[in-house]
Amino acid sequence: MTGVSRRGLLQAALAAAPVLSQINQAQAAGSDHVTIGWPSDVPSWDPDQRFAPDAQGIFKMVFDQPLDQSPTLQLVPHLITKWQLAPDGRSLAVTLRDDVTFHNGDKMTSADFRYTFFERIKADPKLDIGRSWRKVTDIETPSPTTAIMRFSSPAPTAPVWLAFLGSFVVPKTYLEHVGADGFRAKPVGTGPYKLAEYEMNARIVLERNDAYWGPKPALKRVTIEIIKDPSARVAAIQSGQIDLTISVPVREVTRLKAMPNLAGELNPITRVILLQIRNDEGFSDQNVRLAAHHAIDKAALSKAFYGGAAVPLSVPATPGTPGYLADFKFPYDPAQAKALLAKSGYSLAKPKKIRMATTNGQFPSDYDIARAIVAMWKKVGLDAELEVIEYAKYFELNRGDKLPEATLYSFDNATGDPEIYTGYLLNPQLPFSPWKDKVFGAKVIAMFNVADEKARIAGWRKLNREAVEIGASIPLLQSVQTLVRKKSLAYTRYGNGWVLGQTMKWS
Amino acid sequence: MRRWWHSARVLVGLGLAIAVLICGVLAPLIAPHDPNAQDLLATLQPAAWQAGGDSTHLLGTDSLGRDVLARLIYGARVAITVALAASFGAMVIGSALAYLAGYFGGRVDWLIGRAVDVWMSFPPVVLSLILMTGLGVGERNVIFAIILVDWTRFCRVLRSEVLVVRRRDYVAAARLVGFSHWQTLTREIVPATIPLLVTLLTLEMGIAIVVEAILSFVGLGVSPDQIAWGQMIADGREAIYQAPWTLLAPVLAIFLAVAGFNMLGDGLRRSLDVRMVEGRE
Amino acid sequence: MRLLASLTRRLLVAVPILLVVSALLFTALRVLPVDPAAMSMPPNATRAEIEQARIQMGLNKPLPVQYAIWLGRAAHGDFGQSIHLRRDALRLVAETLPATIELTGAAMLVAGILGVAGGLLLFALRDRKAELVAETATTVLMSVPEFIWALLFIFIFGVLLPVLPFTGRLAPSLDRPVVTGFLLLDAVLVGRMDVLMSALAHMVLPALALGLAFSTPVMRVLRASLLDVYHEDYIRQARLRGLSETRILLRHALKNAFLPTLTLLGVQFGFLFGGSLLIEVIYSYPGMGNLMVDAVRNADLPVIQLVGLTYCVVVLFINSVVDGLYQVLNPRLRAR
Repeated sequence: MTGVSRRGLLQAALAAAPVLSQINQAQAAGSDHVTIGWPSDVPSWDPDQRFAPDAQGIFKMVFDQPLDQSPTLQLVPHLITKWQLAPDGRSLAVTLRDDVTFHNGDKMTSADFRYTFFERIKADPKLDIGRSWRKVTDIETPSPTTAIMRFSSPAPTAPVWLAFLGSFVVPKTYLEHVGADGFRAKPVGTGPYKLAEYEMNARIVLERNDAYWGPKPALKRVTIEIIKDPSARVAAIQSGQIDLTISVPVREVTRLKAMPNLAGELNPITRVILLQIRNDEGFSDQNVRLAAHHAIDKAALSKAFYGGAAVPLSVPATPGTPGYLADFKFPYDPAQAKALLAKSGYSLAKPKKIRMATTNGQFPSDYDIARAIVAMWKKVGLDAELEVIEYAKYFELNRGDKLPEATLYSFDNATGDPEIYTGYLLNPQLPFSPWKDKVFGAKVIAMFNVADEKARIAGWRKLNREAVEIGASIPLLQSVQTLVRKKSLAYTRYGNGWVLGQTMKWS
Repeated sequence: MRRWWHSARVLVGLGLAIAVLICGVLAPLIAPHDPNAQDLLATLQPAAWQAGGDSTHLLGTDSLGRDVLARLIYGARVAITVALAASFGAMVIGSALAYLAGYFGGRVDWLIGRAVDVWMSFPPVVLSLILMTGLGVGERNVIFAIILVDWTRFCRVLRSEVLVVRRRDYVAAARLVGFSHWQTLTREIVPATIPLLVTLLTLEMGIAIVVEAILSFVGLGVSPDQIAWGQMIADGREAIYQAPWTLLAPVLAIFLAVAGFNMLGDGLRRSLDVRMVEGRE
Repeated sequence: MRLLASLTRRLLVAVPILLVVSALLFTALRVLPVDPAAMSMPPNATRAEIEQARIQMGLNKPLPVQYAIWLGRAAHGDFGQSIHLRRDALRLVAETLPATIELTGAAMLVAGILGVAGGLLLFALRDRKAELVAETATTVLMSVPEFIWALLFIFIFGVLLPVLPFTGRLAPSLDRPVVTGFLLLDAVLVGRMDVLMSALAHMVLPALALGLAFSTPVMRVLRASLLDVYHEDYIRQARLRGLSETRILLRHALKNAFLPTLTLLGVQFGFLFGGSLLIEVIYSYPGMGNLMVDAVRNADLPVIQLVGLTYCVVVLFINSVVDGLYQVLNPRLRAR
């Protein structure tokens, strides 16, 4: 099978142990390599194809987005140096850099921009990026460095979307030449790193792009080890096999942080953990929905599963983003919950029966949180039957109207824009919302067309409060990104949890 | 000495099996706590003898602050239910087909033989995974999946035994004195294969416990509100550094239960003088 | 030559089995409560777009027709695209199968070595008091399923005494040479000792966990067959000729007792190959097992179908080879 003689094999096995201890210390300070332990692989190497929040950071090393976000989430120029949204929100004029080349040497121009956000989307309906740019009716390219996007209805969040999820500029000429399959096998971007090696579900090796138009990364080589199992990530960082990892159990961060060479962080990010709610079946009664909300002790959840670092939320938006309401609190009040249930004729002796769904392992402690909520509900007279679903089936279930009354869900919104929180979570026309009530739904849909920025933000803030008050949303916690790294490895912390190789360096 | 040792082993095996059974049946009486009572302020408490341990939670608490010992005891319920139901089910289907094949031979035998071939070409873990994907989680489906996967174990071994028994003189004699096929099967052949069946059944119980644990471990086993050792392992693995006891306790429980059934089956095999092909899951 | 002929005959027998298996798999997967058309589209696709995808994928046709189409395409090596990853399913399997074969091969080696050594030890201890202890020990060892070994090994050798790696296939700092996809072979082919060492180190724990769990039956069968063989005449004759016990054991007894052991190893391979699935998941080992679990999680029907089928093909192939070897090696069967 291997062409190695048995004796050779045995000798090799015996010799392996000392070799290994050298490998463990390979990443010493001053090195120009870094090894990251990441919980998930990229869906494919076409960044526009399938959106996955955890992959955006990886794609950002190989590809560039038209606009970027600063560590504090402000929109900043990137491939686009200037952008101007028309007052009616129906067009966006942009100016592109003229010094950007793809990894294969081709120059990036407005033709690539038009191809990415218009031509390609219209040609292939299976691309996720097409869904976020439905409104695009055309992109005019007056010159290689300028472009005007035209929309069928006001698109106030278009600039935000140019820095979000899968909005990465791909090379038109190359893609048309090699085809989609060829592109996925040998991706070409404009980013600070090039893909050097890829073994699916195992490792991604990136080499510095020395011709990068922007600031040159300090590290020459970034290796991303895909380690799906949290305890394996813990072991790998503890034994020194990797230099940085995320999504380890909170308790492990506390323990690892005490080790002399490791630093541990609990970083609140722009991800909300909430219950997605139905407006019918067992939850058709507002009293029951509000009782379900009052019964949840969010502070206890945060303390038990996130070391108290996860901020309890009363609206579906995180602190520091425009949609967050600092002065609105939905209290934990089991007595009130019981009273509301009593009003509708339910009690501990005669509990209200509902169903609840959760993922297991989609985000840290999801399953534990769900089981804790079920226990909290039980104490006030809500009897929930828990089922575990795969994240991939959420949309499928929702489309078939088969989601239960409550589903534990985590929603990532790296931009922090309120439309991408409430607007997506509660729009009955989008696949995220099991809340199908027409009256509230109409208010949400109307907000998508408000072009004036001030009115827009004010409108979303009002809706955020209303959604919680009528029991259409049960926000729980602001998610916390756990991160453990070698103390000597510095990186830039982003408010949305991006961990980018180009910001790292050894001290 | 040898005899004594063997019977001692059977006794130990029997003892372990009965212990699991008792835990399962009497769980509400023995368990020190409500196995579902959560205490979010006291999660992952160490075991009583470890530093910071508390004698109210002998084996500490899990990630939701539930008593590990109580869950261990209640976990025996699912384990023993699945073990009994699945192994009996697999035995009924597998042996029925084996009697048919072995007794009638010819086309019946060929057909059943090919069905076994098709089944055996699937690694059991892969087949049960696919079945559970289709059936969905739940105790009844776990039992169903194990039966659907493991009936071949009985069928394969028993068929060759029936072939041997059928050729014996007294079977031919039974036919000659006018026994019907049914009578011959039930009065002559089945009794002759009972020792083999009992042995296989005991071993299958151990296998069923392991399969249930594996399925629950990957999240395709019993439903989330049931207490199962495999689920406890999955929960405990998250805390392998912090509270290794939450992982090691169910591991030990599975080990003891399976060892019990294996020792019992092995002892029976010897004392009933059964010859069989060895193999394991 | 005999081996080849017998092998060919057995492989031909395997073809109808595979057809039945594929039809069963196909039917089983189509009754799952998931809609492959909807899953192949972005989450916020419209119903009309999904219907169009359904027609494109041929899902509106009756099941037997769908199967015939699938079979026709499969005959040309087209097993469809992964719904989740949008990649050719066959390539996904081709990329992950070598890792699984390597792991199973290594585990088989472990099971073989430990099994033979243990069997000889058990045999050497026959009729002594220690035998009872040793036998009980094997019963107890047999009670530990591979996934329990895997977790214990991570705990002992990865956490308590961190001496061996337990994630992936290769140390992160090393380049992976790609020639055949078999990492060990590739490392030798390109002459990279560091890669070979690292790959072997990564293989120790998973192979040990998997192999250990499957070594106990080997021990027992070898012991039992040795006991059988020692009742045969030629052993007595050899003794009369004055051959030493070691010589008798190695030259005569072992040779004959090896056949049942070989058969058992063949049977075991199927179980072991399936068992690798869990081991791969626990050790984040990038093989077919991980591909399968991912596919099951995402209801990726084409991949589940092909991976399931691949497991069958490998098992059938190995069984045929073992059967063939058995026939060729067994003097009694050969005489007939």
